[in-house]
Amino acid sequence: MSWTRRQVIRLGGGAIAALGSPLPVFAAGETVIEMRGTARGERIWFDPFALAVAPGTVLRFVNRDPGNSHTATAYHPENYDRLRRIPAKAAPWDSDFLLPGESFEVTLRVPGVYDYYCIPHEMAAMVGRIVVGTPADPGWEGPAEDREDVSAEVLAALPGVETILARGALRREERS
Amino acid sequence: MIKQTLLAVSLVATATLAQAHDEAALKAAPPGDPYVQVSDVLPLPAFIPGLGTLFVNPDTLPAGPFLAYDHDGKLSASIYMTPLEELENRTAYDGLGIGSHAVSSVDVYYNAGHPGVEKPHAHVVLYHDAEAKGRLAE
Repeated sequence: MSWTRRQVIRLGGGAIAALGSPLPVFAAGETVIEMRGTARGERIWFDPFALAVAPGTVLRFVNRDPGNSHTATAYHPENYDRLRRIPAKAAPWDSDFLLPGESFEVTLRVPGVYDYYCIPHEMAAMVGRIVVGTPADPGWEGPAEDREDVSAEVLAALPGVETILARGALRREERS
Repeated sequence: MIKQTLLAVSLVATATLAQAHDEAALKAAPPGDPYVQVSDVLPLPAFIPGLGTLFVNPDTLPAGPFLAYDHDGKLSASIYMTPLEELENRTAYDGLGIGSHAVSSVDVYYNAGHPGVEKPHAHVVLYHDAEAKGRLAE
C-alpha cells in the first residue's frame, strides 16, 4: 500500500460500512500525480494512476517524462465534447500540454469519482481515476456507467472504487 | 526508342544528382524548406532524448522521414514513424526519403504515441554514423 504525502487517517468504529468494511477518511492537502514514460516511449502512465483523496485536495500533475508531453484532461463535454466521467457538480479541467518539468494544479471539492486522460496517449490507455471522499459523503456521485465513449482498454485501466478506497493509491507496477 | 531510353536514363541521373545536392543541404540544422522544426509546431521538447532535435516535411506525415540532429546540429539519424493500425490495414509507406545515404545501423521499436503521431506506432531509426546513437541519447 502506498499512500500519498498527506497520510490517511482511518476511522475505526465511527466509520461507515457502506462497502462492507470501514471506509477510510483522507486528510485534504496537496498530492502529486506524475506523468511518466519509458526512455523510448514504449509505455506511458500516470503515477499513481488511481488515487483516493479527501474533498478539497489540491492535485498537482507534474510531467516527469523527459521525452514526451502529456495532459491531464477530465472526461467532460467541455473538453473536446467527451461524455462526462466526473461528478455533475464538479468543474472540468484540462491542463493543456505539459512539457517535461511543467506542472498543473487542480482542486477537487465535490465527492465522487473523477476519470481523466492524457490527450495524446488515450489510445495507449494513459488514463487515471481519482476518488474524492467516500460514498458516505453528501452529494457523492459514483463512477460513470458509459461504456461507449471510451475504449475497452481505457475501461480496463480504471480500477474499481472499492479497490481504490481500500488501497489509497495504485501505481503502475501494481497494475501489471 | 533509344533516344527515349537515353532521355529517361538522363532524367534519372539528374534526379540522383539533385538528391545528392539535397542530401548535402540536410547535413546541418536547420535543413530549410520544406522542413519545419517539430518542437515549433507541436508541444514537444526541442531536444528529445533518444531522438534529438527533429525536423520534418509536414507533407510526409506521419511516416516522415524525421531528420534527427544532435546538439551541435549534425544530422545523425533519419526516423520513420508508421502507425501499427495503418500497417495492419495494409497501408504501405513506399519510396520514403532519407537524410543521408550513409547508414551505420538501424533500430526498430514500439512507441505508444506522442503529439503529432498519437496512434501507437513503430519508430524505424536509421543512424548515419557509428556515434550518432550516443549523441542523440541525451
